Amino acid sequence: MFGEKGYNLIKELARSEDNLPPYNSDLVNEISHEITKQFEENRDDAQNSTIDGSESLLLNTIRIRNGASKRNIRCLMAYHYNRLKCLRTMRWEFGSILPPDIKANLSSDELEWFSNYSKTLVNYMKSIGEDGINLAVDLKPPKALYIEVQCLVDYGRFELSDGTMLLLKKNSRHYLPRSECEELIRQGVFKHIS
Amino acid sequence: MDPDELEFLGEKSKIMIIPTFNKENIHLISGDLGPFRASLPSQVPLWVATLLKKQKRCKIIPPDWMNVEYLEALKEQEKQTSGFTRMPSDHYMVEAKLLLDCAPDDIPNADEVKVIIKDIWDMRMSKIRSSVTKLVKNSDFYAAVDNLTIMEINSVRPILPHALDNLFRMKHIEQPKPSQNSNVSSFLMSKRASTSFQLSNNEDY
Amino acid sequence: MDLDDTNLEDLNDSNDSEDYVHITPAEVLELMEETWVNEKFAPEILPNKTEVVDIILEQIKSMEVNIKNLSNDDFTKNIYQLEVDKLRFMVTSYLRTRLEKIESYVVHILKEEEKRVEKGESKYLSEQEYKFAQDYSRSMDRYFNKIMNFCPNLTSDTWSSKVIEPNNNSFVFMKSKKTIEGLPIDITNADSDLVDIKSGSRVIICYSSIEELVKNGDVNLI
Repeated sequence: MFGEKGYNLIKELARSEDNLPPYNSDLVNEISHEITKQFEENRDDAQNSTIDGSESLLLNTIRIRNGASKRNIRCLMAYHYNRLKCLRTMRWEFGSILPPDIKANLSSDELEWFSNYSKTLVNYMKSIGEDGINLAVDLKPPKALYIEVQCLVDYGRFELSDGTMLLLKKNSRHYLPRSECEELIRQGVFKHIS
Repeated sequence: MDPDELEFLGEKSKIMIIPTFNKENIHLISGDLGPFRASLPSQVPLWVATLLKKQKRCKIIPPDWMNVEYLEALKEQEKQTSGFTRMPSDHYMVEAKLLLDCAPDDIPNADEVKVIIKDIWDMRMSKIRSSVTKLVKNSDFYAAVDNLTIMEINSVRPILPHALDNLFRMKHIEQPKPSQNSNVSSFLMSKRASTSFQLSNNEDY
Repeated sequence: MDLDDTNLEDLNDSNDSEDYVHITPAEVLELMEETWVNEKFAPEILPNKTEVVDIILEQIKSMEVNIKNLSNDDFTKNIYQLEVDKLRFMVTSYLRTRLEKIESYVVHILKEEEKRVEKGESKYLSEQEYKFAQDYSRSMDRYFNKIMNFCPNLTSDTWSSKVIEPNNNSFVFMKSKKTIEGLPIDITNADSDLVDIKSGSRVIICYSSIEELVKNGDVNLI
């Protein structure tokens, strides 16, 4: 049936609001094919109609095909556009390097778009003020008292109370709420520096 | 706006503290604080007050309105009027929350204060709900909200603005373009009274 | 740590700035907060306030130098630091809000900017934002070209023809700084009811009615 595949594509999108399922290139190709076919059939019919004068009969068929392909195009656009929006959010969450499990679900065009977006964003952030400013931090109004600490050992992953994951490497410096580091200072993982 | 951001806006309110330390001026970008003399009252922004209180460097002097007597009177007034009473502070909820959290020992009858403030809030929220219903039912595209505080306004977001957005959209679909035939359009357009829907009890408004 | 008051001609809205405004850092902060909240609640992107952002960033920078010089034993260090963090949050949140709008409405915004340039008006986007918008729009074009190139009948503007525009007829809360008389509550309607709004009053109203008042600073969104 006309448009059914497009509908399925949108359903897939709706099911996975905040995450990215694997790029459905099969379905995308099938829909693209459907659109091309509709275009070709319409073109052929339009040519024939001028020859034998059966315009009125064919006109409705052409209209319906045209409507169906328009709808298909919209579905394709919505699918691709919304995946980019999701990718965009991930750029803000994960930074310029995506986790491998997410990367595996992207098409090569999406990967290219992501790296372009990342570049555009970094260029913008660098151009603010005199020294640039990182917009991907300070997402919430600051509340606690912060202190600067230096990591003395390769500690590995460390989760803050707000869910932020940190990778604590030897000699890395972090600016953290005092309450969050006190324990690690006691354990000798952190050194409080000025 | 999320609650953290509302708190962010409310934290600027000025609060009196009694410091337990001596210190010359603190030159913040937002203005100078101090000088501080131990046991002499001094005015600071709420965020500085909570910070110092947590470090046990000061006592908080609660705002004038943060006492049982005043709040009981306010609650009574809120009960008596159908409109909204003017609140003593635009950020009364943020101030109450932060101070009751960090300095219950400095606020006389802190528990009671907390309960009355909650009562007042609940009363106002129920008035807000019925006002919103009325507003939407009448399809009023304008309303004064003079005595609502920032947090109360935020509580009807996004539902009220969204409802009005959609009503506005529908109204404009109904309407034929006035330029095409002014007779017809003025006949078809439902004339709405020009009075605004009053959310406040500000009589002279 | 003395901070010099800043003299700012730029911040004066009036064109006859013979007597330029003397504005303190505290006042710039107020302005930044208004700017931030306005941007948060306005459906469309507002004219940029790069001057304000730049001053705040300068203040942050010089304050940070001062903070480094304070001893860790000085408990006021935390107060200074927290203020700087608060300011940085406000500035970054403001810039993020604008980027989100630019991304959502990029085609519309670039078109409007073009019109402004043609009319000799100043752009709403800052120089940096304008570059961002152009780069972003180009990468969207390139991407959708690839997606749609299976069919020769579809051209590159397939994506940009589906323009997403901000709804300037959406409803907002505002507080007036001035007395405003005879404000139409529905500017799309010539017979609209008119209202007077007193200075200090708060109302809910259609954004399109107060668009200009927000931009010239007579009202604040709340």
